[in-house]
Amino acid sequence: MLTLTFTNLKMMARNRHTTLWSLIFPLMLVVVFGLFSNFGGSSPSLAVIDQARTPLSQALFDQLLTVHFLATDDFMSLEMEKLIAQSQIESGDLDYLLVIPEGFGAGGQASPTLIYSSDNPERNQLVAAAISGIVISSMNAETQASNGPPPALATSEVAVQNVSFFDIALLGLLSLGIMTSSIISVAVKISTYRGQSILKRMLVTPLAIWKYFAAEIAAHLLLALVQAAIILAVGVFIFGAQIHGNLAWIFIIVLLGSLVFLNLGFILSAWANTPSAASGMGNVIAMPMLFFAGAFFSTTSLPWILPYVAQALPLTPMLTALREVAIYDAPLWQVWPQLAALGGWIAGTAVVAIKVFRFS
Amino acid sequence: MDRAIRVEGLTKRFGAFTAVDDVSFSVKTGEIFGILGPNGAGKTTTLEIIEGLQKPTQGQVSVLGLDTVRDSTKVKARIGVQLQSSAYYDYLNLREILALIGSFYPKHIQPNHLLEQVGLLDKATQRVRQLSGGQQQRFTVAASLVNDPELVILDEPTTGLDPQARRNIWGLIREINQKNVTVVLTTHYMEEAETLCQRVAIMDQGKVVATDTPQNLISSLKSTYTVTMMSLEPLTEDQLLSLNGAVSSMQIQENNTYVIRLSDSPRALDSVLEGIVQNDIRLEHLEVAPVTLEDVFLQLTGTELRD
Repeated sequence: MLTLTFTNLKMMARNRHTTLWSLIFPLMLVVVFGLFSNFGGSSPSLAVIDQARTPLSQALFDQLLTVHFLATDDFMSLEMEKLIAQSQIESGDLDYLLVIPEGFGAGGQASPTLIYSSDNPERNQLVAAAISGIVISSMNAETQASNGPPPALATSEVAVQNVSFFDIALLGLLSLGIMTSSIISVAVKISTYRGQSILKRMLVTPLAIWKYFAAEIAAHLLLALVQAAIILAVGVFIFGAQIHGNLAWIFIIVLLGSLVFLNLGFILSAWANTPSAASGMGNVIAMPMLFFAGAFFSTTSLPWILPYVAQALPLTPMLTALREVAIYDAPLWQVWPQLAALGGWIAGTAVVAIKVFRFS
Repeated sequence: MDRAIRVEGLTKRFGAFTAVDDVSFSVKTGEIFGILGPNGAGKTTTLEIIEGLQKPTQGQVSVLGLDTVRDSTKVKARIGVQLQSSAYYDYLNLREILALIGSFYPKHIQPNHLLEQVGLLDKATQRVRQLSGGQQQRFTVAASLVNDPELVILDEPTTGLDPQARRNIWGLIREINQKNVTVVLTTHYMEEAETLCQRVAIMDQGKVVATDTPQNLISSLKSTYTVTMMSLEPLTEDQLLSLNGAVSSMQIQENNTYVIRLSDSPRALDSVLEGIVQNDIRLEHLEVAPVTLEDVFLQLTGTELRD
């Protein structure tokens, strides 16, 4: 079996076209995402909660709208909304929240508070200075005369882990690479071997069938590990992504996910009559799963039953476990529900694969 | 053990279709045995049951004294198989493929030794697709010998080859057989069966219709020669009747071509040739050939073998 595993790896190495392209596709996306994240630079977002509801607070809001580098959004002055906005700052969906308190500009000394995450200190300093200047200028001389000196801008920093969109997207890209190469390469390879009677040729030897499959799977799992290592290395060393968790746990999750997708590849190979059909079917399975499982976008806003469908896909537990471990440094046992879900998928797809597989 | 293979009452059905219908024959140890028949006769299915690739619906098959269903793995370890139109890994060279296949067997021969045996040692580092058709076929024969088998099963080893490459493979098969390896092959080339096989089984529509040596099968025919003639004009009814006495069967083909199989009377050939002269049949072409297995097949099945 070792000979067969080693020979499989040798063939993968020689089949440079397929192997390289299956690697290049997710790597290319890593580069694209990396470039957008590092240099695309969308405007930091600002939400304003106006609890004062005075002409002066309205004037301040109008002034904020004129700041070109801020994407300003209004919020209703409800405490509930403040909680939502704060949680958005923690999750990175919102960059800045300005709370204009009751009594602002009504003779009191209530200061507006700027809330932001600890994520980007240089930008925080710049934005705080800009907003502070606007607060001061919004209180013109007239109001100063009646109200006394302008209140200073108070700031409040929410400590968050330094997680960028790219850190999260990199794990999505990693999953994409593992999923597409596992599903498509197995489906195409097996349907090619079946078409050329290579599988039948194996059957006339005394080699136990399980050894043949074990060798195929072992070779593909090794390839998945190499692929994962390359994608993570490019993300971290070239585009500065951060991985906080244990790499060994990450690789274990990659192996479990890869097993599910290899099984799916074996199932597809049984239904595909030609290698090109296998490739097309692989894409049809992999691509929608990528988006529905929330590799790059949140799936909570999906309509109808789709969020539940998203939860049921095998990529979802893989992505969730990867994020918990890689970003929040969770130990492997903490993501046991996701690992159990992956285990269920491995067992289920293996049963179907064994049932539908055909040698000729 | 004087029988390498015993097939008794073998039937294989796929749904309502019966591919092999109550077939019995045996192969003697050390002989070259041919299974003859047109496409769809059931040859490959019979071989696949012998090889342990398929299970019989009914009947028993034993190979080297072992039951092919119960002792499938043991049988596979001791036989060599060349499948019809099987390809090999694209990304391995000849030596690596033989080493890989060899690794599946408890006993195996060195790849270089095998390649030398089939005259491909100088191609050891090439890929299968870089070989000519004849070389590819020789390589598949080499791959069937990787475990030093006692019995080799070759499914249409020369199909699609030019005459020279075909003769080359025949030489190789004889060499293998001289090393006391029993050979079973299927073919639809009569010449191949006649020159190579010590005994043949003729299959048609899932049944074995005869089993014997090629010579005995030919001798069993009530015919001695086949006369093929092309006349300038179509023969009249009188002319046809004049030839009739010595004819066992006649086939009329295009372009005024008549294929006449003569009866086994000692004067049949003289009688037909005299008839041609006396009835003033003007010929463009005349060919006289002894009867072959092709004629045996026609006699037994009523149809001709085709490529």
